[in-house]
Amino acid sequence: MNSEKAIDTTRQAVPFDTGNIPGPKMARATMPAVAGKMLAKAKRPLLIVGSEIHDEKVLAKVVDFGKRGIQIAAVGNSFSALGDKGLDAHYINMHALASYLCDPQWPGLDGKGGYDLVVFFGITYYYMSQSISALKNFSKIKVVSIDKYYHPNADMSFGNLRDDVFIAALDEVILQLPKK
Amino acid sequence: MIVKKGSFVIEGLENVQINIGKVGAEEEQIAQGPTPRPEIISLRNWDYRLLDRYNPVYTPTSDMCDYCTYGKCDLTGNKEGACGIDLEGQSARQALMTNIMGAACHTAHGRHLLNYLTRKYGNDFPIDVGPSNLQAPLTETIMGIQPKTIGDFFPVLDYVEEQLTQLMATTNTGQEGSARDFESKALHAGMLDLLGMEVADIIQISCLGFPKSDEKAPMAEIGMGILDPTKPVVICVGHNIVAPAYILDYMDKNGQFDKIEIAGLCCTAHDMTRYNRNAKIIGSMTKELKYIRSGIPDVLVTDEQCVRADILKEAQKLHIPVIATNEKITYGLPDRTNDNVDAIIDDLVSGKQAGVLLLDFEKIGELVPKLAMKIGPIRKAKGLTALPNEEEFKKLVAKCTKCLQCTRDCPESLPISDAMAAAVNGDLVPFEELHDKCVGCGRCDYSCPVDIPVLNVIEKAAQRVIREEKGKVRIGRGQIGDPEIREEGRNLVLGTTPGVLAFVGCGNYPDGTKDVYDVVEEMIQRSYIIISSGCAAMDIGMYKDKDGKTLYERYPGRFIKGNLLNTGSCVSNAHIAATTIKVASIFAGRKTKGNWEEIADYVLNRVGAVGIAWGAYSQKAFAIGTGCNRLGIPVVVGPHGTKYRRAFIGKPYRKDDWNVFDGRDGSVVNVEPAPEHLMITAETKEEMMPLLAKLCFRPSDNSLGRAIKLTHYIELSEKYLKKMPDDWHIYVRNEADLPVAKREQLLKLLEQKGWKIDWEKKKITEGPLRKVDVSFQPTNVPRLCKEAKK
Repeated sequence: MNSEKAIDTTRQAVPFDTGNIPGPKMARATMPAVAGKMLAKAKRPLLIVGSEIHDEKVLAKVVDFGKRGIQIAAVGNSFSALGDKGLDAHYINMHALASYLCDPQWPGLDGKGGYDLVVFFGITYYYMSQSISALKNFSKIKVVSIDKYYHPNADMSFGNLRDDVFIAALDEVILQLPKK
Repeated sequence: MIVKKGSFVIEGLENVQINIGKVGAEEEQIAQGPTPRPEIISLRNWDYRLLDRYNPVYTPTSDMCDYCTYGKCDLTGNKEGACGIDLEGQSARQALMTNIMGAACHTAHGRHLLNYLTRKYGNDFPIDVGPSNLQAPLTETIMGIQPKTIGDFFPVLDYVEEQLTQLMATTNTGQEGSARDFESKALHAGMLDLLGMEVADIIQISCLGFPKSDEKAPMAEIGMGILDPTKPVVICVGHNIVAPAYILDYMDKNGQFDKIEIAGLCCTAHDMTRYNRNAKIIGSMTKELKYIRSGIPDVLVTDEQCVRADILKEAQKLHIPVIATNEKITYGLPDRTNDNVDAIIDDLVSGKQAGVLLLDFEKIGELVPKLAMKIGPIRKAKGLTALPNEEEFKKLVAKCTKCLQCTRDCPESLPISDAMAAAVNGDLVPFEELHDKCVGCGRCDYSCPVDIPVLNVIEKAAQRVIREEKGKVRIGRGQIGDPEIREEGRNLVLGTTPGVLAFVGCGNYPDGTKDVYDVVEEMIQRSYIIISSGCAAMDIGMYKDKDGKTLYERYPGRFIKGNLLNTGSCVSNAHIAATTIKVASIFAGRKTKGNWEEIADYVLNRVGAVGIAWGAYSQKAFAIGTGCNRLGIPVVVGPHGTKYRRAFIGKPYRKDDWNVFDGRDGSVVNVEPAPEHLMITAETKEEMMPLLAKLCFRPSDNSLGRAIKLTHYIELSEKYLKKMPDDWHIYVRNEADLPVAKREQLLKLLEQKGWKIDWEKKKITEGPLRKVDVSFQPTNVPRLCKEAKK
């Protein structure tokens, strides 16, 4: 990857909802390649997607992630767009997932144990922001937002992005993942 | 000392109790359970049982605490602050405080009504809520008494107020520090909230001629398009019926209903229609700012709760006088209670005063119609409205720079700039769609860097749909009567009626009001009993089918499967919770008085009822939900509900959490996770519907009932999530639990999961968690087992 062509996702790293200021610790703005490498190196990563993946271009990126072997937690109504794609995708309620991820005893979506890294995009902004505040404060799991919007409660996050930049950024993340 | 009422003992005669006032303890006044008038820790063991299974899940909106001068303290990562409280404790404390706020609001409403109604009708005015022996189920279950008159509720509110003070005290720095005990206290506050609401609604039903368990209550008109704006228009905003009742009485007496339009915003509207059939409903709080800015109201009358803090400022811009009628909301207005009505009217019409505080109900009743008649023509002649005209509209939408700041400030993140761009090209459809999804908060106005009054622009663009906004709501019926419970209780407990779904709460919907209509239509067609109240009950009536009929016109209002009930206003929520107590008492013969734990245990294990507050925004809604939780009723909240910062979520993978006792012998039985959660959110309506079906499972379901519930769970999941639920098999105890139409197919799936099937007999021989036992008496409370009783 030519670094000169890398998309800068660290701009506009301010909470998308103006009032969503949780406290002194807010997500570090990150570049797609960094997020991608973290995802590639994680022992047990999980991609969470939600009700805002029904757009054709966004959905295609979810499928790309899935085809690289990333397990997908399909929250909200997102499973309806993913069920027939042959991916390792599982429906779960986001609020319940946030609770379970904080529990070291949770066997995971497939019974193979918990997760060490969570990445996400395409979920109702405030809903996800609130949900990951549980992970931020009550778990040791790393949370990386590769959403279109800056999420202060993640450990690392893209800034607020235009649609085209968002899709291109997801492509850059996917490039870091080994092909199956 | 002269003692007029009460009990006392004489020194040396401690075994003798002397009662003055009501001589002799009537049988029904004797508590039947162990916790009449429960104190803060009286039901702690029950709370712990709930909390051990349904763990609190905290989603803080702030990682800080700034309650005392030690702070601000950074609690990020569950660190402790200067006082020693950690973020978990702080989050639980906030949950408690939110519940106290809500409970105080309803209780203070009840107190205002009680003081007023007893002054007017006397303490001995009898309670009459319809055909019921169990007239005050929550009061009986919590207080251990059976009230007969409205005056009997004085000790009830005394108790609630005292307990709320005790609870509030625990939130001070240096008091409670345990998250678990904060949650127990929050559950206590939620229960008190239900009690405060019950008092408020029972006394107003009894005294003010509201429908009394009337399944055939008439319809009321609802919508922003129902009023004739050429007539003087009076709009009452809030929750307390007293002032609007006087206005309605005056109008009735003077034959003014054809001269003046009178309607309500938020729950006052419900109660106005219960009081007088000529009143109409504009809608929920989300319509408040929109309707004021339309300029249609000529007089605004405020009472309490869900009244916008800026109502005076907004009204003043359009020369709409505000009459504040309740001590809780006074806006700095001059108190004109002791002044002459005509003098006050002169000052308001001339604009000398923008509004007044008026606490004399007789004067309010006279002043408001007179004022409307006088100021209405003046305002209409001036054509006062905040909405832009056509030319201004075009200029305003052309100013939009698409900076997205309005979207970032919008609670629903609405795509406003896209609608602006479409409007520039003459396409108003995107704005018309936004009108329904917009919660009318007005935050966008403040955010626009080029000073576009965004809400006004949306409303101007949506005039066509607003004019057509005309629906019907069946007037609040009050309680569910005992005869209805007798008819339906068995079906509920056995599961052959798939469940009771209670749509309650406010209008902060994630994707517009239509979602509520859609969900109710889907579930009522599946024979769930739908009960509603408050703003949700209004929004259900806002849409029509292809034949032009609303859901209230399509479905009757009896408490049986496939019916749609509106209990009434916010405080009528108490009747929804109380219905489960009635099922336990009337159908199952459980003793109610002072017996909360046993009743709640029964409800949790046997009554398939779920609350839905899809647009909950207020502290009151959270308190209602938490009160329902303590009564064993699960609650689903919309995605904004994560901002309440605490949910109660079960963990089905922790098998031991789902152990219950068999009441017959005290043996431990591992049951399916039913209900799986006590308070949880969903992101979308598509996710909500199968979740509702799942939360209706109860360990007591018989096979027919379980098969019916399973049918809906599977079908709703397949329809809206395009998949079989991952956990459907957990709820199968034998082949009779399987939906008949899909039995063979499901048996094959079970076999693939490793279950053993006798295909010749089409029977499951190995696999289920437990067997069906129609005599099974599930309970979470050891003392309720027969062995323990011995």
